[in-house]
Amino acid sequence: MRELLKRLCAIPAVSGREERLADFILKEIDGFCDAKVDANGNIICHKKGKKPAARRVVLDAHMDEVGIIATSITGDGFVKFVTVGGIEAAVMLARGVTFENGVRGVVGMKPVHLSTPEERKKFPDKDNLYIDVGAADKTEAEALIRLGDTAVFDSTPTIMGDRLRGRAIDDRAGVAVLITLLKAEAEYDYYVTFTVQEEVGTRGAATAAFAVEPDAAILLEATTAADLEGAPEDKTVCRLGEGPALSFMDNGNLYTKKLYDAAISSGLTCQTKQYVSGGNNSRGFALSKGGVETLGISLPCRYIHSPCCLADMRDFEAMLPLAKYMLDALCRGDIK
Amino acid sequence: MIEKILKELSNAVTLGHLKGATEAARRLLTPYAEVSDFGQTGLIAKIDKGQKKTLMLDAHIDEVGFIVTHVFDSGFVKVAPVGGNDPRILPATPVVIHGKTELPAVFASNPPHLKGEEEVKATTDILLDTGLGTEVRELASPGDLISYEKDFTLLSGGRVCGKSLDDRAAVACLVELASRLYDKDLPVNLILCLAEQEELGTRGAVTATFALSPDEAVAIDVSFADGPDIPSTKCGKLGGGAMIGISPILNRKISDLLTDIAKENNIPHQLEVMGGKTGTDADVITISGSGVPCGLISIPLRNMHTPAEVVDMADIAAVCDILEAYILKGGAL
Repeated sequence: MRELLKRLCAIPAVSGREERLADFILKEIDGFCDAKVDANGNIICHKKGKKPAARRVVLDAHMDEVGIIATSITGDGFVKFVTVGGIEAAVMLARGVTFENGVRGVVGMKPVHLSTPEERKKFPDKDNLYIDVGAADKTEAEALIRLGDTAVFDSTPTIMGDRLRGRAIDDRAGVAVLITLLKAEAEYDYYVTFTVQEEVGTRGAATAAFAVEPDAAILLEATTAADLEGAPEDKTVCRLGEGPALSFMDNGNLYTKKLYDAAISSGLTCQTKQYVSGGNNSRGFALSKGGVETLGISLPCRYIHSPCCLADMRDFEAMLPLAKYMLDALCRGDIK
Repeated sequence: MIEKILKELSNAVTLGHLKGATEAARRLLTPYAEVSDFGQTGLIAKIDKGQKKTLMLDAHIDEVGFIVTHVFDSGFVKVAPVGGNDPRILPATPVVIHGKTELPAVFASNPPHLKGEEEVKATTDILLDTGLGTEVRELASPGDLISYEKDFTLLSGGRVCGKSLDDRAAVACLVELASRLYDKDLPVNLILCLAEQEELGTRGAVTATFALSPDEAVAIDVSFADGPDIPSTKCGKLGGGAMIGISPILNRKISDLLTDIAKENNIPHQLEVMGGKTGTDADVITISGSGVPCGLISIPLRNMHTPAEVVDMADIAAVCDILEAYILKGGAL
């Protein structure tokens, strides 16, 4: 599953441009379930199990990742951009990018030598950043980049001990777990959604939830781990190496208490996300139709939304048994 | 061809006791020159033509980086900069710790709820994350050097991006010049000096110039290229050609000859006028021993001292063309 995650992380899929990743996923799961693609690009899968389920359960992971999109080209051939999803200026400076058509570039900046003491104390305003693609003027740049082209930050997936450093671990980790789950035999019928546009307001989840009409949704996600050396205990959120993090609440959703309770007392490796922050597709599912029960299982991830996320592969691998345990419990009707 | 050489040089590391780029340069220069080590100075390549006059070309081989100052059991590491750096670019930047093994690591980026009062932290206050636990102690120790991760990339329009193009772009010029000139009749002997520790205060060039005592010298370095947020009066233009240095501390006859050669041969060039010190090895070459007349020629470069330095291959070619003619003329003096 680690190798699958590395391969998934290498495929660019900025929100709205998930097609390449979707094609990869469709090939991977071909023959293992019924899959269809909806109008927005969500992949909606129905997995046949040995028995019908007491309740309709869906597992979701989002395909998209944060990135950038070209908005204009300056007179001297630099590409101006905005972020797609939340990315801080600090992690974009002096970083390589690759556009969807393969054009390479770099986020330029005034060298420190020429910066005033005041400028050195602040990160540049995101609006002032620009990409250098090597064009000598506007005409050259326009031949290389179309406005609206998206790009991702260059980052080679790198193994660091039991940990993986790379781009888009949020949420390729969830995608990898669900591909693996779909390829295995199922006890009960269930659904899986691979959704688009999570990073721009959990938009794919809205239509995916509407289509599936589940009773309960299990969200496989990545979440901030702030377990840095010297960080206050109450602000670490969750810790790498202590298992998948279960959410009771975030900025977009109050998770279903009985699902959280069943997961946390499962005896399987997991931890509680001890901070109310962020948000994910669970809000889209929770408010769909007459309401859906939600459970959030997240991979603790340092430097999330940066080109170099860092996650523990043992936590990643522990997501699968926990998701499977909760899926089966819900399908059996054990959690009412 | 020069591009391939530059890629090899950029992706290698010469920093403190690490000599990767130095060894790459040795391999590249050995077919053309008599190459030798020179104490802490760096690498010297001689093309001896039995002439009275000896001309030295200098390009520094070292790069900026970091050094481990403290290792935590949690797998985090504290560092100090080696040479100038910009702490603003560090969050989430990948690097390599050259410890027991080459250990990949990444500078921490604090999540919003952990940010302190100061927006930009000093380099010595930023954590470096190895992703390891206590086993980090077996692999990394105080004193280990840290380089930016290699990622030499071709941009469009003949421009390239990578770490350490300051000053490997100039080292690539030295290799190119050696290959062009080694089998030609030259009016001078040539010494190519690949000085170390420029980034720590032009240290390698001090001892090298004293020991070699050339009759005339030119330092090749990089200088600031244009960008949207840089006043055009403070920089050269990327792709605008070789930047010929003019300063009271440089020898004016050398500056003039370099300019005349560029003009006569229609080689793209631009003048870089400075009021005193140049921030390059030329500053110490000029006052070595009883003094060495020295010129300076620079390659325009963007994003200096970051892992994303950008140069234009056409500017490198212009520097080579001017210096080739300059050497064939036997220098300015």
